[in-house]
Amino acid sequence: MGTLDIGMTQMATLFGVVLLPWLLISLLGLKLNQVIAVSLLRMTVQLGLVGIYLKTLFTLNDPWLNGLWIVVMLVVADLTILRRAGLKRRYFFLATFMAVAASVVFSTAYLLLLVIQPPLLYDARYLVPLTGMILGNCLQGNVIALERFYTGLRKNENEYLTYLLLGATRWEAVRPYFREAVKAAVNPGLAYMATMGLVTLPGMMTGQILGGGEPWTAVKYQIAIMLCIFTSTTLACILNLKLSLNLAFNEFDILMEEVVEKR
Amino acid sequence: MTKQLPLIQFDQVGVSIHGKAILAGISFDMNAGDKAVFRGKSGAGKSTVLKTLLGLYPLARGTVHFQGKPLDKSVIAEIRRCAAYIGQEPVLGAETVRDALLLPFQFKAHSGNKPSETTMIKALRTLHLPETILSQDCSRVSGGEKQRIALARGLLLGKSLYLLDEVTSALDVESKQAVFDVFADPKLTVLSVAHDSDWVALCGRVFDLEGGNITEEKRNGDA
Repeated sequence: MGTLDIGMTQMATLFGVVLLPWLLISLLGLKLNQVIAVSLLRMTVQLGLVGIYLKTLFTLNDPWLNGLWIVVMLVVADLTILRRAGLKRRYFFLATFMAVAASVVFSTAYLLLLVIQPPLLYDARYLVPLTGMILGNCLQGNVIALERFYTGLRKNENEYLTYLLLGATRWEAVRPYFREAVKAAVNPGLAYMATMGLVTLPGMMTGQILGGGEPWTAVKYQIAIMLCIFTSTTLACILNLKLSLNLAFNEFDILMEEVVEKR
Repeated sequence: MTKQLPLIQFDQVGVSIHGKAILAGISFDMNAGDKAVFRGKSGAGKSTVLKTLLGLYPLARGTVHFQGKPLDKSVIAEIRRCAAYIGQEPVLGAETVRDALLLPFQFKAHSGNKPSETTMIKALRTLHLPETILSQDCSRVSGGEKQRIALARGLLLGKSLYLLDEVTSALDVESKQAVFDVFADPKLTVLSVAHDSDWVALCGRVFDLEGGNITEEKRNGDA
């Protein structure tokens, strides 16, 4: 049993569902008409292109092409993390790339090699969506971790300097903000896990069921992906913050203002 | 006989913060045991002098020497090891006063020297603070008490160089005298910022700072 396809006419009908909220937003005078139009258009074009690309990827199923796609995803994720965390690329690009890549590769490899064990390890059908899901969640966690850490440090500059002047090493002095940042980054994922199935029906599971999969298999996949998301997010955040400590401070342990984007 | 090197030596030191020149090229030196004070209007660069010595601001020009060595990573570490900086609004960094006094002893640098309760009480009494303050919440102590708790923390750490930014500004006469008595110790070196005339009178050397320049240096006792 496969998923029922949506024809082009039905796709056109689908866009009718947004007419009512669009009308209400217009009546409220929110001036979001252009934003809504651009967002809908972008989403449609972007997903259309991804669809074409994924179809090619799945058809060719070439290990190098699959690998290249993952590298592209990692680079885009890296740039997005730094932009949203307000940190400069020229200082943190490599560190963030290394931290995220190492954590995502570790989790995905663990999942594929030890758990799912597909006949072809590089099979695009498994590799691409699983890496994408893990990376997407990792991205959110890293934005929160970096943003929270550097904002916390700048807001509490006097406290941080006091620790330094009381004999703390750089690591000892940043530890309270480091802990807070990691906690803030992993907390949403933990809350999501704790309410999963009760408040939310997770996307991967829903997708598998709609795709004709057995609910029990879908549940097992969902648990697998959640554990790997938690692992990769936690590892990437800790690693990313740790690596950034060597880049964001001067030799006297003072945070360099130039590493942060002016907003 | 070889001449003893100054403990602190600023030579034509210029410091800019966010592109604005705060120190324009100041020069002075201090020996161990000296008590010096910087005076001047707000924004004259007084606090910057103290913070520059602690490596908080990079030098735009000039040199700073500590014990004859130019500032580098290891010299800054040495300064931070032997200096206590107490600002106008010291951060105690803990929930209770006891935890605040013990805070530096959580760090590797001081982990073996945790003071006893008696030693803490003695340090507090030296600064006219009651022992009952130990269990008080830091958010409930006054500005003057905070400054003296920060000073007590410096004493417990056995610091020999004190960088004091308006530490007597929030003190009553009695507490001020207690602080004066502590720093009468010839082994302690004090580099301070103050407007308080009593404090200025206590310091052997007085520097007037204006627009980032030292405009006058006086030695107390000079005519």
